[in-house]
Amino acid sequence: MSVISLEHVGYRYPLGREDAVHDVSFQVEQGQVCALLGANGSGKTTICNLIRGFIPRFYRGEPTGQVQLAGRPVEQYDDAELTETVGYSFQNPFTQMSGVKDNVREEIAYALENLGVEREAMAARVDAMIDLLHLDDIADANPLELSGGQRQRVAIAAVLVTDPPIVVLDEPTSQLDPQSTEDVFNIIALLKRQGKTVILVEHKIDLVARYSDLVILMEGGRVAMSGPARRVLTDPQVLDHGGQLPEVTRFFLERNKKLGLNDPVPLSVEDAIKRYGRKGA
Amino acid sequence: MAYLELDKVGYTYPNGYQALREVSLSCELGEAVAIIGRNGAGKTTMVKLMNGLLKPTHGRVMVDGTSTDQEDAAHVAAKVGYVFQNPDDQIFQDSIRREIAYGLVKKHVARDRIGGRVAWAAEVCGLGDSLDSHPYDLPFSQRKFVTIASALVMDPQVLILDEPTAGQDRAATDLLAGIIQQVTAMGKTVITISHDMEFVTRHFQRGIVMADRQILMDGPIARIFRDDDLLEQAHLARPYLAQLAQAWGFHDVLTSEDFMAALPQTSLLTNQ
Amino acid sequence: MTGFIDRLYPSSKAALVLLAIIVGIFTPGYILQYAMFPVFLLLAIMAGNGMRFFKGFLSSVGTVVLVIFLVQVFIVRYPDSAHIWAFIALSPTGLDKSLGITSRIVSSASAIMWYFQVTTPKDMVYAMEQAHLPKKVTFVIMSTIGMVPQVINRSRTIMDAQKSRGIETEGNAWARVKSFVPMLGPLIFSLIQQTEEHALALQSRAFLAPVPKTSLYRLDKHTIDRVIQVICLLLLILFVVWRVWK
Repeated sequence: MSVISLEHVGYRYPLGREDAVHDVSFQVEQGQVCALLGANGSGKTTICNLIRGFIPRFYRGEPTGQVQLAGRPVEQYDDAELTETVGYSFQNPFTQMSGVKDNVREEIAYALENLGVEREAMAARVDAMIDLLHLDDIADANPLELSGGQRQRVAIAAVLVTDPPIVVLDEPTSQLDPQSTEDVFNIIALLKRQGKTVILVEHKIDLVARYSDLVILMEGGRVAMSGPARRVLTDPQVLDHGGQLPEVTRFFLERNKKLGLNDPVPLSVEDAIKRYGRKGA
Repeated sequence: MAYLELDKVGYTYPNGYQALREVSLSCELGEAVAIIGRNGAGKTTMVKLMNGLLKPTHGRVMVDGTSTDQEDAAHVAAKVGYVFQNPDDQIFQDSIRREIAYGLVKKHVARDRIGGRVAWAAEVCGLGDSLDSHPYDLPFSQRKFVTIASALVMDPQVLILDEPTAGQDRAATDLLAGIIQQVTAMGKTVITISHDMEFVTRHFQRGIVMADRQILMDGPIARIFRDDDLLEQAHLARPYLAQLAQAWGFHDVLTSEDFMAALPQTSLLTNQ
Repeated sequence: MTGFIDRLYPSSKAALVLLAIIVGIFTPGYILQYAMFPVFLLLAIMAGNGMRFFKGFLSSVGTVVLVIFLVQVFIVRYPDSAHIWAFIALSPTGLDKSLGITSRIVSSASAIMWYFQVTTPKDMVYAMEQAHLPKKVTFVIMSTIGMVPQVINRSRTIMDAQKSRGIETEGNAWARVKSFVPMLGPLIFSLIQQTEEHALALQSRAFLAPVPKTSLYRLDKHTIDRVIQVICLLLLILFVVWRVWK
């Protein structure tokens, strides 16, 4: 049974002139990292909202088709169940802080407080998150005085602290520098090892190629291409649908075309070294 | 004297936090300069000093021969335009056309000239077809182009872009590259802060590497990405293709063109 | 000593304040009321807040009291007003009345100001949560308090963004007013737009979970708190009895 399953899902926002997503179907299995790709406005965030049940709980309107989490339609989940099932980190780091906490430690604890977790257990879980996301040096800082990148990391910690089996990360690295971006992807890899299912919206395609199992390429609200990362992200058609290819992949595709070769097309630096050896040429 | 000069410039916030230690640099007109470095390295503070939003607490910032100390921010900004990281801090009109025109209207530019200039700036920024839309009808990352057009329309000699590549898709990144090219071709300077190393290597010749609130290196991009110690010190990584080239022993390869030329023109598999 | 008042539970401080306000309003005369100012100043000094309390008091309540006093004594006419010069007259009735009004303002305001200076919003809301006030109520209070510095920060950023488009925000008063208008748009819009995402962000952090909230932050009620609360209650009863029997 798939952890996440969308069957012919369509949805139009109440004031929208056209469908935000149309006839979207895909399945994600437990422990997979599924990347949602595509140009801005292609429907990626809408899919995240459908999976989290914000559509139709918060955004009105009638979605068509069916969204299921662990085999159960998402509309049958109540608020508390959804919170515990799907962790969701938003695109904009500036709106994600609770606004009612004056230090990072308590900001991270907020979801646990709302769930009524006892203080000792709560403190231990907060500390674990601070370690995981390297937040030690800002643990006592005011969340509202942090930079965008720092807030993004706090937001991710605040979501992971409840230990949800499904984690939705909507552009978690758009405000981050390369080093912190790598840190976030290391956490994604860790979540995967813990058996969590991750939905990732991300433009940094080179990292997507390295860390995701499954990619869904959206174009104009529809699924343009989908499948294992290796298959989709080595297919030059991605470019025709507004998607991007990893640098290394693009290079080998171009080279094959230019020289009329049929060399294997790697997805990443590591992959190229694996295929062609340490020396390459 | 160069158009823009920073002479031993430092900045300490009133609360005592030293955001920039001591930096010196100069920019001629027509240059494209990339500023790279991790978050908190002092990049935004440095560019805010360039356009007069901040006044140096020591040293001097000279724009077109005048110290920014001696002018108010609005005057400096007329020469050095700065596009904020967050477009929502700037946008406030109810149509993109009005938004772009706002600065010109405020400066009492003749009405018949405004239309043409707005159309030009919108065209450059890929907004030609959406001039009558509400700015907030565009997705967040595209609103950035509205603010770039609003700065561009004022015809500054230097245009500073703060992380324009953040959260942009491929089309938008290409559009940005086009803007930088056009603006520098007009003899203006573009200074861009970016975390996208591939973008930087493809579209810039000069780079300024910052770390720990000072400049570590100011020089050709090709030299920056050849310097292992520098990259490590600044917590930067090469673009992925350059990483592969490096691993295969091609130390001077930075772009795909370089790499293409450096590799043998036959299958790599038969070569093993 | 500084820590003593900080460590008091918010409701103990509230009991003190309430007692002071009631006693101040219903005790005849004005000496006791005026005397409350030095008492609360002393309490503020004990909390390490003396200077802030004193300055804050003078600049707000002080001004109001002075104005009321002057108007009542010299300008409002009573039968016993003795004309001094132009529209100015001196009246013993006015003097009496103004002492009555201003002394009560002084006593109540000192108590309330003291409370808010020595009790952090965080402690207040914590106490409310512990008293099982609905989550939504405490949230609204806390986020309203938190919004003020946020709005101030945001308007600074937006002001800077306007400046860097070449819009004058410095100079004379008129230039500043003109620069303020373009600021309102992005300020209000961004606040509205943020509310939507903010609401979703809170929901995904279990804001709506139907269980009693716990707290990582901790503030204990000590014996001294119970003692203070009981004493305040007893004093209040004694005071009521005294006022009714008199």
